[in-house]
Amino acid sequence: MAQPLVGKIQYDRVKGKTVPRPTHTASEQAYFVEVVKGLGLTMRHFFKNTKSMLRGERPDAVKDPLSEGITTLAYPEQKKVYPKRFRGIHRLTLRSDGSPRCVACLCCSTACPAQCIYIEAGEYPEGDARRGYERYPVKFVIDELRCIFCGYCVEACPCDAIRMDTGRHPVPYDSREQFIYGKDMLMSLTSVEGKQVAENPRHEPPDPTHPGIDRLKGAH
Amino acid sequence: MPSIKLDGKEIPFEQGDTIITAAWKQGVEIPHYCWHPGLSIAANCRMCLVEIDPMPNRRQLVLDVLQWDPKKGDYVPGRKPKLEPACQAECMDGMNVKSESSPHVRDARKHVQEFLLLNHPVDCPICDQAGECKLQDYWLTDQRAPKRMLDEVIHKPKAVEFGDTIVYDAERCIVCTRCVRFMEEVALDPVLDKRERGNLGEIVVSPGRKLEGHYTMMTDHVCPVGALTTKDFRFKARVWFLRKAPTICPGCATGCNAWLDYDPRTGEVPRLRPRDNLQVNKFWMCDDGILTHRRAQIDRVTHGYVGRGGERRAVRPGAALEAAAKLLEGKVAVVFSAQHSSEDNFALAQLAKALGATDFYLSRLNDWDGDKILRDADHNPNVRGATAAAGGSPKKLEELTGASTILALGGIADIDQATLAVLGRSKIVAIAANHGPLTNVADVLLPAASWSESDGTFVNRQGIEQPFEAGPRPAGDSLPAWDVIARLARALGHNLAFNKLRDVRAAMDARSNQNPAAAAPPPAPAQ
Repeated sequence: MAQPLVGKIQYDRVKGKTVPRPTHTASEQAYFVEVVKGLGLTMRHFFKNTKSMLRGERPDAVKDPLSEGITTLAYPEQKKVYPKRFRGIHRLTLRSDGSPRCVACLCCSTACPAQCIYIEAGEYPEGDARRGYERYPVKFVIDELRCIFCGYCVEACPCDAIRMDTGRHPVPYDSREQFIYGKDMLMSLTSVEGKQVAENPRHEPPDPTHPGIDRLKGAH
Repeated sequence: MPSIKLDGKEIPFEQGDTIITAAWKQGVEIPHYCWHPGLSIAANCRMCLVEIDPMPNRRQLVLDVLQWDPKKGDYVPGRKPKLEPACQAECMDGMNVKSESSPHVRDARKHVQEFLLLNHPVDCPICDQAGECKLQDYWLTDQRAPKRMLDEVIHKPKAVEFGDTIVYDAERCIVCTRCVRFMEEVALDPVLDKRERGNLGEIVVSPGRKLEGHYTMMTDHVCPVGALTTKDFRFKARVWFLRKAPTICPGCATGCNAWLDYDPRTGEVPRLRPRDNLQVNKFWMCDDGILTHRRAQIDRVTHGYVGRGGERRAVRPGAALEAAAKLLEGKVAVVFSAQHSSEDNFALAQLAKALGATDFYLSRLNDWDGDKILRDADHNPNVRGATAAAGGSPKKLEELTGASTILALGGIADIDQATLAVLGRSKIVAIAANHGPLTNVADVLLPAASWSESDGTFVNRQGIEQPFEAGPRPAGDSLPAWDVIARLARALGHNLAFNKLRDVRAAMDARSNQNPAAAAPPPAPAQ
C-alpha cells in the first residue's frame, strides 16, 4: 500500500547493504598506546635512514637534493615532466606577421564555464587589408585565478588562436592582479617546443597564400 | 476548409496556398532558403523538397537511381520517387505530403545542404550571421556530416560595398536571390541582380548604381546566410549574447513591429529587426526605422538637471523632482509628446488635471518623406495616442505664448528658433529620454526611460493600439516617463496612484469605458 511521503521519510523504501560498524579494542580506544606505536614506526625509519646516510649508502637529501636516489622533488629547480596533453596556462597563437590569430569571435568566452575570458573586439584601422574583413581583440584578458583549466576555450576556438600547450601551470604570485593575464602576456608565451606561430596558416586577404579577394585576382 | 496531410498532421489551406505556405501558417517549418512568405517563388535552393503521394488513380513518378550500398561498397540500382519543391507545389485537397517522415526527403536535404556548403568559406567566427544562420541550423538538423570535397573552394569577392549601408560577401552567398526579389518586388527598385551561374554565381549591383534608397537594410534581414550584412551592425555584437523584446518602431506613424535586440549585460541596443505583422508592416521595415535603435543610446538624458545653459548641473533624482515641483505654480501649459507612449501621455494628462491646467499642446517631429510602401509622412509614432490623451485637440507649439510655466514631455521634437525663443521666456520643466530643442532650454530636466526601456503603447496610423515591451533596464537615473510623472505629482502633493504600469492602463481603460467617444483615437486623416 502506498503511503504518503509527506512528514516522514520512508526509510524502508531505500534498499542498501548493512555494513557493520568497525570495532575498536580497548587499547585502540585509549589512544595513548597507538600514539606510542606510531612514534615507534617513525623513529625506526629515522634511525634507519640516518644510519644508511652516515655510512654513505644514500645521498644527503638536504645537502645534495638534486642527486639520484632522492625520491622527493627539489621544486622549483627540479620539475616534473607533464604529460603531452597537459592543459597548462593559455597562450594566444600568432600569425606569421606577429599579429594574433584571434578574430574576436567570442566563442571561447561563450564556452567558458568559469567566465574568465574577457574580450573587447575592435576593427582594424583604416588602410589595413583586414579592415572590413574581420575583427581583432583590442583586449584579451584571462583571469587565471578563475580559470578551471577545462580546455573548453581551446575546443571552441575555430581559428586555433588559443591553446593550452605551454606546459606551465600558473605561477604563484604576490597579488591577485598578477594572475590577470592580458593580451601581450598571452601572446608572449610559447608552446612546449617554443613555438608562437601556429602550424596551419590561414588564408587571409593580406597573405600571399590567399587566392584573391577580388574577381580579377582569383583563378575564376 | 480543404486540407492536406503533412507527415500525418492535418494542415488546412486556402485556395492557392503552396505546401510550404500552408505549413508556415500552421507554424510548421519545412527547411528552406529561397522561399520567403512576402516574396515571389524562386524555387532555386531546392532545400524544401518533399515527397508527394500520387493522387488517386495516378501513378507515382519514380526515378531509377544508383544508391550507395555500404555493405557491398558499391553503387547498386535503386528507385526513388520524384521529389517536388514545397514552395512551388500547390496544395490540393486530400494531398499526402511527406517531409520529415520520408527517407528520400531527408537524403535530398542532406545532399542539397552539402552542395550549398561545397564552396562555403566556413568563416563563421568572422561572420555576423553566426548564431542565426540557416546554413548552421540546417547543417545541424539535416546534414551532420563533414565535407567530402578535398579541392580548394572557389574564391569570390569578400567585403564588397553595395552602398552606404550594406556589405556583401560572395563566398558566403548561396544565391537564393531573396535580396534581388526584395529590391524588385517590395522596394520597387530592381538594382540587384545575379551574375554567372553554378559555383560562380554571385549577386551584383547594376553598373553605375549603388544599393540605395529607404529599404536597403531589409536585404540583410531577408538574407538567410551571412552574405549581406549591414554596416550598422557589422562586427558590433555576437547574436547569441543578445536578448530580444517585442517593440514598435518609433520612426513614423506606421508603427512597424520590430524586435529590439539588446545586450542584457551592457544595456546596449545594437539593432532593430522587423517582426512579422501582416496587418501593419508585413515582414518589412525601412532603413530609418531600423536605425531608430540609436535613440536608445545617443543623446540620452540619464540624470536630472537643474538650471539653464552654463548654470546647468546634474542633480540627484529627488532634488530634481523638488526643483520641478517648486517651478510648477500658477498657470501651467502642458506639452504632450507624439514620441511618447499613450501611457506616458495619459499620466501627464492626469497630472495636468490635478494641477488644473487646461492649456494643452503637442510637440512632434515635422513630416518627412513618406512613401506608399511603409513610411508614413507623419514622422511620429504616437500622434493619435498623445492627441487622445490631451483630450482630442491639443494646440501646436507655435501657438504657445505667455505661459508662466511649461510642463513638457519628450525631447525628440522639431521646434523652430522663433518658437523656441518664445518658449524660452517661460519656466520649463521637461521630462525627456533624449536631449532635444526643448530640453536644452529647460530649467529642470527629469530623465525618462527611452521607449526601448519601458513598456507602453503606440497608436499607429490605422488606429491600432500596439503594445511594446521594455528591453534593457532604464539608463542612469531614468525611470519610465509615467513613473516620473507619478513621482512629480507626489512631490506636488497629488496622488495619482500609479505604482505600476498596470495601474495606468487600468485608469486608461476606466476612462475609455466611461466616455468612449472622448477616449477613442481620432479618425485617420484623409489620405
